[in-house]
Amino acid sequence: MTEENKWERVSGSTEEAERIYRKSRSFLGDVWFRFRHKPTALLGFILVVILLVFCLAGPAFTPYSYSEQNNKLASIPPLLTVYPGPEEGSYLYITQGLKLIEVDEDGNLIRQLKKKKDDNTNKQTSFTWDDDTLVYLDYSRLPNTVLDADGNRIETGLKKWNNTYRLGTDQLGRDILTRLMYGTRISLMVAFIAALVNMVIGIAYGGISGYLGGRTDTIMMRIVDIISTIPLTLYVILIKMCLDDGLLSIIIALSSVYWVDMARVVRGEMLSLKNQEFVLAARTIGSSTKTILLNHLIPNAMGPILVTVTMLIPSAIFMEAFMSFIGIGIAPPMASLGTMCNDATETLRTNPYQLFLPALVICIIMFAFNFVGDGLRDALDPKLKK
Amino acid sequence: MARYLIKRVLIMILTLFMIALLTFCLMHVVPGSPFTSQKQVSQAVLDALNAKYNLDDPLWKQFVDYMIGVLHFDFGPSYKYTGKTVNDFIEGGMPYSGTLGLITLVFVLLMSIPMGIVAALRNGKWQDMLLMFLATLGVTIPSFVIATGLLYIFSFKLGWTPVYGVDSWKGYILPMIAMGGYSISFLARLMRSSLLEVMGQDYIRTARAKGISEVRIIWKHALRNALIPVITVLGPTIANLLTGSFVIEKIFAIPGLGGYFVNSVTQRDYTTIMGMTIFYATVLIAMIFIVDIFYCLIDPRIKYE
Repeated sequence: MTEENKWERVSGSTEEAERIYRKSRSFLGDVWFRFRHKPTALLGFILVVILLVFCLAGPAFTPYSYSEQNNKLASIPPLLTVYPGPEEGSYLYITQGLKLIEVDEDGNLIRQLKKKKDDNTNKQTSFTWDDDTLVYLDYSRLPNTVLDADGNRIETGLKKWNNTYRLGTDQLGRDILTRLMYGTRISLMVAFIAALVNMVIGIAYGGISGYLGGRTDTIMMRIVDIISTIPLTLYVILIKMCLDDGLLSIIIALSSVYWVDMARVVRGEMLSLKNQEFVLAARTIGSSTKTILLNHLIPNAMGPILVTVTMLIPSAIFMEAFMSFIGIGIAPPMASLGTMCNDATETLRTNPYQLFLPALVICIIMFAFNFVGDGLRDALDPKLKK
Repeated sequence: MARYLIKRVLIMILTLFMIALLTFCLMHVVPGSPFTSQKQVSQAVLDALNAKYNLDDPLWKQFVDYMIGVLHFDFGPSYKYTGKTVNDFIEGGMPYSGTLGLITLVFVLLMSIPMGIVAALRNGKWQDMLLMFLATLGVTIPSFVIATGLLYIFSFKLGWTPVYGVDSWKGYILPMIAMGGYSISFLARLMRSSLLEVMGQDYIRTARAKGISEVRIIWKHALRNALIPVITVLGPTIANLLTGSFVIEKIFAIPGLGGYFVNSVTQRDYTTIMGMTIFYATVLIAMIFIVDIFYCLIDPRIKYE
């Protein structure tokens, strides 16, 4: 501002003064803004997206199938201990069944060597490399190793990453990476469908109970009280037993008991919403109960419902893994994260990676959904608005 | 209070009856008879077996007979192990499961409440961050993963604890940690948020203004009020601990109830499943009932009408 016009009246209309400079956001935009400004929530969301890509698009990029077994290449770990072979740039890997596999410089598994002769007294086995070269496997003392050209033990092996099976194979020689993709897909599918079914039942039950109130409410809530004192884990197991093996029966078992929480949440929302003016207005103009419930009450209760659903997903995943782990889950050869963990416990001592990998994926899924659920709860709660 | 107690006992009995009825129905919906197996059994043998176990009676009579048995603490014979009754399994497994459950509960309480208190008092500092990070881990990692992980590290690699069984006290350590992991994390988080809320109350400011020492404020004023939500969820927590034991007992080969239950489920031993379910449910409901009464005694403001 210069000296000349110091006392000049500032031009401006009331319109200008009243203008709202802050960009106005819709409710959803507001929720999204708060959601993405919470680091853990955003992290959870990104993890969920990565998991979805991993399990939906992943199988298209892998040359293996989840069920194809290869006994020769069973229990090969992701990190191989290899010994130099007779030729330059070739390496030998000793399998747990004391066989030799040729591995190249990049860690690709080339072929399995043919056994020539087993020498029991010296505890050595000879394998044919090519027509006139033999390689010897020495298992006289641990660690088992390969003999070099002079017949001496090569005591120290090199570490190489497995390039053929990036995450190794399980005890039946199936590629773990591929099985993880299918397992994640099954686990997420079970969880999503079960959460959705629970949501529908819970909304219907809680909505009717809360909106009608009175005696109906009392009776319906008594039933919920009784169901919630029943140990649900037991009932999921029992219901699962009555049905045959398969995906559908797991989903039915999970969906038939977990709607109780949802029903309670929805009923609570209904009770606080149904006496508000907009419901009164809707009733005054003669809307039917159905319209009021579906068009007015449930959309307004959607926040807590969504939070409950995101919290249901990890518990459904947990239950699915739990059931598969005690042996009543999905039928083989289909993989689920729980069955993979269960299979791996038998060989835990020798092949810990077979348990570690599916367990890690389960943990990531649980983390992701818990974070998203927490973030949604904070984002949807207008009281926390800054 | 007396009216509330009577009402609660009636609901408890009704719940147990519903559980028994539901379990009974579920077990009879299952396709095939309990004696269907790989071996072909002639019709005459099947008839004889059905007659022996009274399976040729009408359904309602079977249920009434079964319920009379249950009321006399007789859960009937096992269909898969000849000469064994369900009572044998329960009597055999209960000492192990009971011990494990009890020490785990004590362990959970001893760990979670101090953790929650420390996290709340050091709110926002590194102690809080560390404890809450651990608690998030505990809530998200399934118990069977914790159990197998612990087994691998401490039994296989370090050899500090036995791999199988509970012959010595050392055998209980890993199952206790694995079983309690979830509950510790959950209760610690609850304790933290509840204590934080209480510390912001007016009466705490009043107590400070009076010049009472910080330790006394926390001990006498804050903690007693902050514990109430924790006690509310103790009932479901015990339920969680008990059902969590299925997997844990399987992994650590503890000859407890959970192991028998999982076995009977995989072998489809129907009477054992039924008996165990009813037994578990009774224990759980009784526990929740006891916790509720305790809750009522601790907080004099709560009047049950």
